[in-house]
Amino acid sequence: MLARNLMTTVAAVATALSLGGGVLAQDTPTVTIIAHENPGDAELFERIEAGMAEAGTPVNIELVGLPSSGYADALSLRLLSGEIPDIIYFQGADAEFANQGILEDLGPWIEQSSYIKDAMWPHNEARMENYPYLLYIFPARTKSAVMRSDWLEQSGLEAPTNLDEWTAFLTEMSQSDFDGNGEQDTFGILAPDNTAELDAIFNQSFGVSATWLEDGSGEWIHSRVSDAERDKLAYYQMLYADGILDPEYVTSNWEVKEDKFYSGRVAVIMGTAGPVVEIYRTKMAEANPGADLALLAPPDGLEAVNVAKEDRGYAIHAMSENKEAAFAVLDFLASPEGQFIDRMGVEGEHYTRDGDTFEVLPAMGGWYPRFWTVDPGYWTPPVDLLSDVAQGSLEQGAEYFVADNAFVWPADLAADVDAAEQYYRTSVFRFVSGEWSMDQWDQYVEGWYAAGGQAMTDHARTVLQ
Amino acid sequence: MSLDEKQLASTVSNFGNVPKSAKRVPWRIAFGLKLRAWWPYYAMMTPGIIYFLVFHYFPIYQAKLAFEDFRIFGDNLFVGFKHFDTLFDSPAFFQVLANTLIISAMKMVFVFPVPIFIALFINEVRSTNLRRFIQSAIYLPHFLSWVVIAGIFIAALSPSSGVVNDIGQALGFAPRSFMTESGSIRWVVVFSEMWRTAGWDSLLYFAAIMAIDPQLYDAAEMDGANRWQKIVHVTLPGITPTIATLFILNVGLFMNAGFDQIFNLSNDAIRDQIDIIDTYVYRIGLQSGQFSLATAAGLFKGVIGMVLIVAAHTISKRLTGKGVW
Repeated sequence: MLARNLMTTVAAVATALSLGGGVLAQDTPTVTIIAHENPGDAELFERIEAGMAEAGTPVNIELVGLPSSGYADALSLRLLSGEIPDIIYFQGADAEFANQGILEDLGPWIEQSSYIKDAMWPHNEARMENYPYLLYIFPARTKSAVMRSDWLEQSGLEAPTNLDEWTAFLTEMSQSDFDGNGEQDTFGILAPDNTAELDAIFNQSFGVSATWLEDGSGEWIHSRVSDAERDKLAYYQMLYADGILDPEYVTSNWEVKEDKFYSGRVAVIMGTAGPVVEIYRTKMAEANPGADLALLAPPDGLEAVNVAKEDRGYAIHAMSENKEAAFAVLDFLASPEGQFIDRMGVEGEHYTRDGDTFEVLPAMGGWYPRFWTVDPGYWTPPVDLLSDVAQGSLEQGAEYFVADNAFVWPADLAADVDAAEQYYRTSVFRFVSGEWSMDQWDQYVEGWYAAGGQAMTDHARTVLQ
Repeated sequence: MSLDEKQLASTVSNFGNVPKSAKRVPWRIAFGLKLRAWWPYYAMMTPGIIYFLVFHYFPIYQAKLAFEDFRIFGDNLFVGFKHFDTLFDSPAFFQVLANTLIISAMKMVFVFPVPIFIALFINEVRSTNLRRFIQSAIYLPHFLSWVVIAGIFIAALSPSSGVVNDIGQALGFAPRSFMTESGSIRWVVVFSEMWRTAGWDSLLYFAAIMAIDPQLYDAAEMDGANRWQKIVHVTLPGITPTIATLFILNVGLFMNAGFDQIFNLSNDAIRDQIDIIDTYVYRIGLQSGQFSLATAAGLFKGVIGMVLIVAAHTISKRLTGKGVW
């Protein structure tokens, strides 16, 4: 009898708890996020949940993690299964999902937001106008040229400010032995895989001011078949021939680039402004104690920034039942409280706090914001999180910001765009390496139009009026 | 179970096979008897059958995506041959197809025979320790990923610091950039494939050589055959069925020119020389999100592969009487 009463009591308590738990669970929506899997994510999401609860918008956040390596491909396959989380972090291949109406138009949500609308950078606003499905509140991913500051001092030269000075400077770098190993084995500059990183700082010097340029007759032509591009490639050809540009750039990936930079085999490299430049600085100091980085200004400004759409960022599933909660998470992360959590890392591990005084710890070098780095006019951290050189690279990006006129290609042109891109990339190496002389330019232009460029140009002329 | 069935089952287990009389019993009983007699083999086959069903046969049904516009939710839209038209109109596709055929043909001609020579060579090594050392050394690359192998080849073939060019320069040759020259990159692909697979693939031929009746060698020796003659007249004919079977299977995989290998060895300088259908499908399908177009390219490749294997099988049957089915 006693046992039966005891069991009845336990069952009643369990039922009451489960019902109560159900009610609580209904009050707190669960938002699923698919993104990179990083160490420390669980703790970060706990702190975000706590912060949101304190702000009066409690949510449960469930991370569906994917490895960073091959993330874009793995994400596509995961979403194709039809199991789509509330918030999706894309690193490409989002357009097909947007075309199918899977992604929510974030425009109206941003309009009504408490924080995001004020936290965005100007390029974010332009991109959301053109493609309102993907949001990434970060500084434009411009590239900055950096080198060892002690080498700059040893050279006795001023940091270059125009193209002629850049050429002379890089020549000097490639003909000196600043690493002191007794050999002239240092190249002036290295861009891994292709010339994209060189373009970031040299495009404007040759008039490659946008993706689409108007020719003499007022017609739009792709910059890749313009006279400006020809002049730029002739310049690269000279850098290659004179041993200023590392001749093995095309077989070098970013790891090789970094290795050559830290070991003194190349003087100047380009890195994404802000956190990446900070990483280069940290690694350079580790490899060469006492060494610091100097930021170099581009000769005539940075390449135009694509504002057609974000190239990565967060989207909300259009058919999510928790859209409101999902957007609340993104909006909270743009709030001062959310920014503090996301950008400062963990107290005691990444920073210390004594009243209003903060001190950044060395481990901060391994921390980066998972969500937003908002416009500093809207919110600035209580302590400098980046070194002067990294902060300077961000300011350089803002100073030279120019909006590009590229646009999103329709799916029907995917094969043409791919073919033209491959043709261009292969041709660029052949020009730069001297395998093709610049006299073959007209032949190249003809080949580019035949390799899908004509279809691209025809379409562009209907878009760019 | 009736007495007759018990007797039948006993016969089956005694002789290890289903007797002809089983054909006269109902198929359910015959199947049950076969299952009882051969269950360990069926059990061993099951994972393989499941693998092929899940990863090779069920996906055939999804190849219909090549004829549809893909929708994540709702029914796909049937568009007929639209994606094939796009594919064949693509300026890059025929270059990619040509690269696939050329690279596969080069591998067939220059890589396929190498494991046979290696197996014959290893069989002639009399020192057991030396043979084991050689086998271990040549099997090793099989266990390396293409990422690692590509790194090794890029470093070894570097014109400034690579060991190959260092040796070449010591012999009086000018340094060459093998990884960026149109004329050399396909040979790099072939050689790296050979380096990675030839040792491991020689295992099958070596096993086939081990299965040759030693009396044949004794008889050949009695007839005065030297080692070369024993290779030509005993060993090679002994492994001919294995060579024929593997050749036909390789023909079936002719269009698989090696995604991982090409992806890792590729760079902007030579992509037009080694871009194959698989890398094209990866770019168009996964990176650009054009799943239907990529499926059309993949299906096209699969159909060519099927035609090739049927043709190779038929020719082999007519010429040698041996095939794969």
